[in-house]
Amino acid sequence: MESECLAPEWGSQPCVMGIDEAGRGPVLGPMVYGCLYCPISYQTSLASLHFADSKTLKEEKREELYESLKLDKSIGWAVDVIGPRELSANMLAKNKINLNEISHNSAMGLIKRVLDMGVLLTEVYLDTVGDPEKYRVKLCERFSSIKFVVSKKADSLYPVVSGASIVAKVTRDRALRGWLVEETGENINRNFGSGYPGDPETKAWLEQHKHSVFGFPSLVRFSWGTCTTHLKSEVEVAWESDETEENGFGNSSKRQAKLSRFGFTNKSESRSEEIESSGKGRCKFLQARKIQQITQF
Amino acid sequence: MGTIDLRAAADENSVPDISSQVHQLPCCIRFDGPSQVSHYFKPTSSEVEIDGVRTEEAHFRGRKLQGATISLPSGYSGFVLGQASNRNANGKRKASSPEEEKPCWEAKAKFDRMTYWNHDTLPSKDDTFLRSFHWFSIAEALHKPVKAEDFVAVSHGEKDKM
Repeated sequence: MESECLAPEWGSQPCVMGIDEAGRGPVLGPMVYGCLYCPISYQTSLASLHFADSKTLKEEKREELYESLKLDKSIGWAVDVIGPRELSANMLAKNKINLNEISHNSAMGLIKRVLDMGVLLTEVYLDTVGDPEKYRVKLCERFSSIKFVVSKKADSLYPVVSGASIVAKVTRDRALRGWLVEETGENINRNFGSGYPGDPETKAWLEQHKHSVFGFPSLVRFSWGTCTTHLKSEVEVAWESDETEENGFGNSSKRQAKLSRFGFTNKSESRSEEIESSGKGRCKFLQARKIQQITQF
Repeated sequence: MGTIDLRAAADENSVPDISSQVHQLPCCIRFDGPSQVSHYFKPTSSEVEIDGVRTEEAHFRGRKLQGATISLPSGYSGFVLGQASNRNANGKRKASSPEEEKPCWEAKAKFDRMTYWNHDTLPSKDDTFLRSFHWFSIAEALHKPVKAEDFVAVSHGEKDKM
């Protein structure tokens, strides 16, 4: 989503951009990165629009400011919505991508998108994500023509970042409000609360909507520690990728465990053979295909 | 040793065909029983096609799965086995001492297609699961009855080499 696909008329003038995020902490819903940009010469007028950090504003005020900045012909904006499913999948991937990296990639994606439109970005302001200096260096290496300022509380220090935070926050709130729950046949209600793990309403919602086998509806970020805590009492799921990491055994151990659980065991099987790769002691052809002979069932 | 009774499966209608509902996941779910699978597990077809097979995408417990639906090789069938009801033809429970009692399995459902899933990797011919099918042709060669002509062919071959 963005203001326009083509560069605005003023895009050839040196422009400043602010980037901010909404929904980084919550255990459910999307994380939204938003950016706002305008000609450097317009910055003083931007300050007079009274964007404050979106978190300090009331919801109606945020919505109002969002609508007014959308109408402002001297301002451009764009958002990147990263759904809970994508967040979970990345953070629980075989090669895990942490939230900081996802955040960095999202911010850089927004910068690239606006540059590709033909907007002459010369300065970009962002809030810290991880170590500020490392982040700044990373950004400079990727976009050498831009001056980057990575600062704590950027959203209250720079109006252009405050504006971005409003775009991000309003987009996140609307996305959560209109969220289409994919899971069916369950009494899924929408009283998620704020989505923050500490919010009693969110806690209650998680407790009500957990499923012994599937965990949670896909609105929930499974990679959050809160989820692990909630699912402790539910059905245990062991992943091949985790197992390899934890105990160094090959990835067939679970399949083995599964077979023995159903009463299939190899006659001569000892405890250690049960957790090591199936086809052990057999010819390479069978080992490579994890084919094991079952003599007792 | 236990026995497996597939007689029920031979009859077209006596056991359900669950061909579109069999999934092999790259994880172990330590649970055995019914679950609301179709309400939570919703595979979607992706645009990617590999070796002529359209890949699918699904999520389970927050992880991204990539899978493919394959037909079992012709001449082979899949069965879901369960403990046999352990009754004889008269419908009476067999009287047997515990040490005599051998586990008896019977087909509860059958399938000729199934979907196997990888965590984060696209399905390919190199997947162990598909490679295990190689055994079928080897088993066939190993267990094919040897005919007189085969002996002749082999002994001629030996002579040629010498």
